[in-house]
Amino acid sequence: MEDKLLVWRCKRGSRDALARIYEKYKGDLLILAIALLNDRSAAEDVVHDVFVGFVEAIEKFRLTGSLKGYLLTCVANRARNANKARHRHSVGPDPLEPVSSAADEPPSSIVCNEELQWLSGAMAQLPYDQREAIMLHFHAAMAFRTIAAQQGISVNTVKSRYRYGLDKLRSILDSESKK
Amino acid sequence: MKPADEIKRLINKSDVRTSSQVDKRILGEALEHLEKLKQQKSAGTRPDIWRTIMKSSITKIAAAAVIVIAVLAGLPFLPKNTASVTLAGVAERLGQVKAIMYKMKMHVTGSMAPGMPQVSQDMESTIIICNDFGMKMEMDMTDPNTGKKMTQQMYVVPDSKLMVMVMPEQKRFTRMEFSDDLLAQMKKQNNDPREMIKQMMGAKYTDLGKSEINGIEVEGFETTDPAIYGGTMGDVKVILWVDAATWLPVLVEMDMTINEKMRITGTIYDYQWNVPVDKSIFEPVIPADYEAFPKEGMKMPEMTEEAAIEGLKIFADLCGHYPKQANMMDLMQEITAVMFKQVPKERPGDMTETELVAKTMETMRPVQSFALLYMTLVQDKKEPVYYGESVGHEDVGAVLMRWKSAENEYRVIFGDLSARTVTGEQLAELEKQPLK
Repeated sequence: MEDKLLVWRCKRGSRDALARIYEKYKGDLLILAIALLNDRSAAEDVVHDVFVGFVEAIEKFRLTGSLKGYLLTCVANRARNANKARHRHSVGPDPLEPVSSAADEPPSSIVCNEELQWLSGAMAQLPYDQREAIMLHFHAAMAFRTIAAQQGISVNTVKSRYRYGLDKLRSILDSESKK
Repeated sequence: MKPADEIKRLINKSDVRTSSQVDKRILGEALEHLEKLKQQKSAGTRPDIWRTIMKSSITKIAAAAVIVIAVLAGLPFLPKNTASVTLAGVAERLGQVKAIMYKMKMHVTGSMAPGMPQVSQDMESTIIICNDFGMKMEMDMTDPNTGKKMTQQMYVVPDSKLMVMVMPEQKRFTRMEFSDDLLAQMKKQNNDPREMIKQMMGAKYTDLGKSEINGIEVEGFETTDPAIYGGTMGDVKVILWVDAATWLPVLVEMDMTINEKMRITGTIYDYQWNVPVDKSIFEPVIPADYEAFPKEGMKMPEMTEEAAIEGLKIFADLCGHYPKQANMMDLMQEITAVMFKQVPKERPGDMTETELVAKTMETMRPVQSFALLYMTLVQDKKEPVYYGESVGHEDVGAVLMRWKSAENEYRVIFGDLSARTVTGEQLAELEKQPLK
């Protein structure tokens, strides 16, 4: 109910309500964007665009499910577009440099903990579709059929991407532990 | 540990922190957009829609019809009491009546809201109600602006769950669909005189003793209890005069004021009991060249909790707060006053006045649902209490409205518009809580 009320207050132009939605979900949204893009600056842009889009559509917006789920889906969609755009401008592989820690960041940036740094670095070694399947299933708690419906692909395809992605991550984990 | 669990653990433990600069970068533009939207909205199309609505001749007719309907709806609440032998006799006599025909005269003066034009309008109607077939009302009135006479026919067709209004001067007709709940309520109020008497039992009244009207010895009963109109009006005074010989109503005198801004006076007279009726009388007559307005028809407001909550949301959206009062007339006055103060802008160019009026009436339907629910709760003696004057949407856990749903059980709508059922003890605790 709180989310419905926040959306309702947003519709009435409440800055506090929008700020509350941001505070409530920014962590989840940024984690998803960083894990998918392995680029904090691009992740920041994606979350920024999601909130601008949310406000632009607020008049007609009707909350039918969870607000968190809706925003995470928006982040996933925009991250996918950002990833495509990145590949159009660069012929090389995804940046494999892990996102930096607090120590080497300027004071105005996003700070990721160790787990997120490792996760985004490892995820960057997977094909984008596999990252997306894993993150949407684990982080956004989406069922395979929901992911499939949203992306217009079969459930089996989503499951395959998820399984291949996990296998690859396991081998990355194993090689990390051997070091 | 399985790889899936390991990855899950990593994801769950992932964390991110943002500086205030990052927050500002991410959210700043969205907040600016929100501010622009807010400004556009405050000077936007709604006030203009409202102004158009209030200017529309169609609306004036509809508004007049609403008042008449409200008065008709109030008819069941004329004062009586089981303790009174005379009124019990009236109830018994009315129980034998299958069809009633009567006339009604009304005079409306005042303004719907400060700054709006003063109205002075007379209406005369003939109403026929039959238990089996429904209701038909023929209404004549004068447009106070043009002085032109206008007529309107209204049909309530229970079998089709429809109310049809025919406006010959405009060559238009309106079809309104009833919900089952509303139809049951209307039947209860308008088509069953026995129920009418039962409803009257609860109102406080005074026996005026005997008098004479047109050579007929009558007994009078007066009430000033606002509950007789289910809380739809402000101050009321209703007198029922009953034929002392036949124990059937002869005359009803009404005087109602709404927020001291509008006054409705009227009489119901010329009752004819058990008039012979034919079903065809109650079938709407719509000439082929009449236009449906709106084309797809309209729906009558629902009287459900969900619709009422939606109405509260819309009202707050338009006015910035919940309605101060829950009764229909005060509520409509309040929203009119707020909308009329707004700066008008051009109407959207792609909409006709008819479309605009229809769209706005559709938007306002849930707001009417809220008032209708409250009215029904008053009528059903469910002890509704509404705190709109003091509770706002920021008072998340505060009681905005409550009513009795069972013995020692209350249904509560809270400041955040959530709803749940509580016990009497829990309600007492909730109502003690300080407001923000």
